[in-house]
Amino acid sequence: MNAPHTPDTLIALEGAELTLPSDAGPVEILRGIDLAVRPGEILGIVGPSGSGKTSLLMIMAGLERATRGRVSLQGTSYEGLSEDALAKLRGENIGIVFQDFHLIPNMTALENVALPLELAGHEDAFDRARASLDEVGLSHRHTHYPGQLSGGEQQRVALARALGPSPKLILADEPTGNLDGETGEKIMALMFDIHERKGTTLILVTHEERLAARCNRRVVMADGNIVTDTAAPMAAD
Amino acid sequence: MAAAPSLSLAWRIASRELRGGLAGFRVFMLCLALGVAAITAVGWTSGAVVGGLAADARRLLGGDMEMRLVHRTATADEQAYLAANSARLSETVRLRAMASSRDNTARTLIELKAVDDVYPMIGQMQLDPPLEREDMLVARDGLPSAVVDANLLDKLGITQGGTIRIGQTQFRIAAVITSEPDRVTNIINYGPRVMIAKDDLESTGLVQPGSLIRYYYRVLFTPGTDPTVWRDNLAAALPDAGWRVRAANEAAPGVRRFIERLTLFMSFVGYTVLLVGGVGITRAINAYLESKSRTIATLKCLGAPAGLIVQVYLLQVFVLSIAAIGLGLVVGIVLPALSLYGIADQLPVRPIFAWHLEALGIAAAFGFMTSVTAALWPLGRAREVPARDLFRAQAAPLSVSPRRIYLLWIGLGLALLTGLVFLSASDKWFALWFVLGALVTVSLLRLAGSILIRLSRRLHPKNAIARLVIANIHRPGAATSGVILSLGLGLAVLVAVVQIEGNITRQIDERLPKEAPAYFFIDIQPGQVADFDRIVTGIDGTSDLRREPVVRGRIVEINGTDVSEVEIKPESQWAVRGDRALTSTGAMKPDTQIVAGEWWPADYSGPALISLDDGLAKGFGVGIGDTLTLNILGRRITAEIASLREIDWQTLRFDFALVLSPGVLEGAPHTHIAAVRASEAAEAPLEKAVTDAFDNVSAIHVREALAAARDLMAGISIAIRAVAGLTVLAGAIVLAGALAAGQERRRFDAVVFKVLGATRKRIAATFVLEYGALGILTALCALGVGTLAAWAVSTFLMHMDWTWLPGEAILTLAIALLATILLGLAGSWRILGMKTAPFLRND
Repeated sequence: MNAPHTPDTLIALEGAELTLPSDAGPVEILRGIDLAVRPGEILGIVGPSGSGKTSLLMIMAGLERATRGRVSLQGTSYEGLSEDALAKLRGENIGIVFQDFHLIPNMTALENVALPLELAGHEDAFDRARASLDEVGLSHRHTHYPGQLSGGEQQRVALARALGPSPKLILADEPTGNLDGETGEKIMALMFDIHERKGTTLILVTHEERLAARCNRRVVMADGNIVTDTAAPMAAD
Repeated sequence: MAAAPSLSLAWRIASRELRGGLAGFRVFMLCLALGVAAITAVGWTSGAVVGGLAADARRLLGGDMEMRLVHRTATADEQAYLAANSARLSETVRLRAMASSRDNTARTLIELKAVDDVYPMIGQMQLDPPLEREDMLVARDGLPSAVVDANLLDKLGITQGGTIRIGQTQFRIAAVITSEPDRVTNIINYGPRVMIAKDDLESTGLVQPGSLIRYYYRVLFTPGTDPTVWRDNLAAALPDAGWRVRAANEAAPGVRRFIERLTLFMSFVGYTVLLVGGVGITRAINAYLESKSRTIATLKCLGAPAGLIVQVYLLQVFVLSIAAIGLGLVVGIVLPALSLYGIADQLPVRPIFAWHLEALGIAAAFGFMTSVTAALWPLGRAREVPARDLFRAQAAPLSVSPRRIYLLWIGLGLALLTGLVFLSASDKWFALWFVLGALVTVSLLRLAGSILIRLSRRLHPKNAIARLVIANIHRPGAATSGVILSLGLGLAVLVAVVQIEGNITRQIDERLPKEAPAYFFIDIQPGQVADFDRIVTGIDGTSDLRREPVVRGRIVEINGTDVSEVEIKPESQWAVRGDRALTSTGAMKPDTQIVAGEWWPADYSGPALISLDDGLAKGFGVGIGDTLTLNILGRRITAEIASLREIDWQTLRFDFALVLSPGVLEGAPHTHIAAVRASEAAEAPLEKAVTDAFDNVSAIHVREALAAARDLMAGISIAIRAVAGLTVLAGAIVLAGALAAGQERRRFDAVVFKVLGATRKRIAATFVLEYGALGILTALCALGVGTLAAWAVSTFLMHMDWTWLPGEAILTLAIALLATILLGLAGSWRILGMKTAPFLRND
């Protein structure tokens, strides 16, 4: 499969490979991934453990550098960008949602959400953070610390934090993996709703077939390769 | 509007982080505060005492300027000049003499001071019972009066109002001295003070030609006198007086030197506390940043540049350092201030309770530089925390090396700290020794730590518990090398101090009594020598009588250059500081060790030659053929160095640093000095026989002098051990921090053990074994390194014979080992009682 970058591509991977050293010798994690994601798409990545889903996400986020091949966001190649330039690119364009939320424990919900906006130098960081928290239904939890919030609330804060800087791309790694079924449902409904309203591109790594089925494109990975890449109609809620 | 992240953003994030409390920073703050407190306490105390010396300088000197002559009084012209050029002039005379009880059953060496009516020009004599100055030394019941130190009464078994005999005169004791304004407590006193009127001195018969008598002339200036101009005028008007002139700011030089040396030594112990603390700081910040690795990774994911991460945590280090340094400064002032307040009466001067900003500044600078330098390594590592770790279950310990720029910054920090050591030390050689010693010690302990870790990797015991204990020594992130370095350094200092002190005490207690003479007799007149020899040799139990003629003279030039302009090593400066005893002899004495040149023929007559102590020659930078010019009773003699001798002064051997060729001192008024060995039983009869026969001869009892030295040593050693103990405390804090950091792992071990059926007793045994192994390894390293340091200091710095004294060192280490185990168990006790189920559910 080859998916070169085109003007209507948000993020593109061309022959991306990832090999990591280990005591037993080099381990091939990704073996030449070609993938182009258009603006506004919801891409679900599924596959068994160890198939390379999370590594693919890390490469897209610029957190891991491809050993070979090319990764670009809106035509800007990651190759040659310094660590700080990648951090800036990420701060301005990509929001990340983790399975473990990764909120900073000594900061309130509001401060957590404002943080990427502050890092990007927005003077109205706290106003935008309030709006973002209100958007995920946490207007009453601004001053709470992560430890005072439920798992679902923490993930909503994480989502508000990812959405705060109005990124073009949201990368979510098992966003419901640490939540009970009902709470997970609510979080996903929220994510899809935001996508509906803002048109943000969403790339989800998930184990849950049901969740993947709701994406409008589905990539199945195995052993570091994309084995199927299919467009799927959005399932009804 | 978007702008680049700034320092203010770093500060905002840092302040939010600090809200989490100081739990992760306790060890960091304690280590830093302790080090700063130690350095502050030493510097502040020294500042308070030196400040006291400065504030009381005129009182301590007894005037605005002091002129001292040895052997002779000032001439009429000299006295007239002094009187004409001052508002007031006072003369006092000081000498050592013997005092005995009226019935002559008890006698003691005294420090006799004869004063004129004007004395004291500054301050007041305080006496018990209180007496007006004019009544103090008036004759009572036909006997001249004396006022004395209280301990003279004890020594002679008499009471106030009783009489004592000095030389040929009886004195009535009018009062006991409680305070003498110009008296500076000497480091070693030869005897109690006895003060008499100057006019009564003559009648004692002690003033003999060549006797060691010092005459002090003190003046008070008229208002507006410039001391420097006054001194220059004096030198121009009376160039050949040969007196030692001292201004008020030079008062009590002995105390000043003593405080300077003690401050120097204690400061270095203080720096060691901070060095040990520095290891703790690095470990504490490393542990803190490891606990923050997820936060750091999250910040990176959210777009934080690596530089911002370093700024955020460096700012936290700054803030906490300032707080810890503040705490250290407060403790470092308050504790010594309270102690000084408590013992103010026993100090030679009134301490000045002020800020002493220089001392505080130095301590703060050391603290700040240490904390920032120690923090750079973990900060440099934290910068490299990969954001991808967030996607993994467990963040790995910080294991990468920082970038080269951080290593350069660390190097710069260490260089600045070294510079600060040199800048603040009054003795640069000592500073060099300290820096090199610290470098070698730290390297040795690190080497020992890594060797032990490597060795433990090779051990594979069959017993599961032993295997776990061994594994805990070498597993990644183990505290072994940090504990060996920090606690080991603290213990090594203690081991070194204990052994050096032990060697000095051994020197005083064992070696000296065997090798030193029992008595030195001074001020024997030439006409008395035949009788003296006869009396001494006639007493059973005496041996090895050695007697030499002696005059006092001062080295004024070295190779024609004034001594004040010659660079002389600190350890040799004593020889040019004042008058020294000189002798002149023909034949070489037995057991003389010539190391360079040759001894002159016994019947030599020719230009003046000198045989010099080899150590002094090195200190002066002179050798065979060079010249020394001596001022002997106003006569200048230039002598060529003919030979160098090695003299072991530590045996209190009877010898002279400067020996002149025969004939040089001919005609100079001189006395004799003698040294005699005596069995313990012969000591009292010997002293009685000599002092009964010769009123003017003073006996210095070596055993008493040694006891005084030992008492002094005991006092100093308490202070030194207290400061050295702080290094161990710093090490213990680091150990406690390391054990606390390992608690999570131990909890996991304990849970697994319980699940597998281990009893609490068995788990406790594992902990004891682990702490014991760590303690023993640390103790062994400390024993080796501390002993090496003690040997080096004793041999090369103190030029002392060295004996390994393992007993006390091992005892010290055993206590430390026990403390390690108890400290570790105290932290782990709760783990033993912990239920396994909740842990397993949560994990």
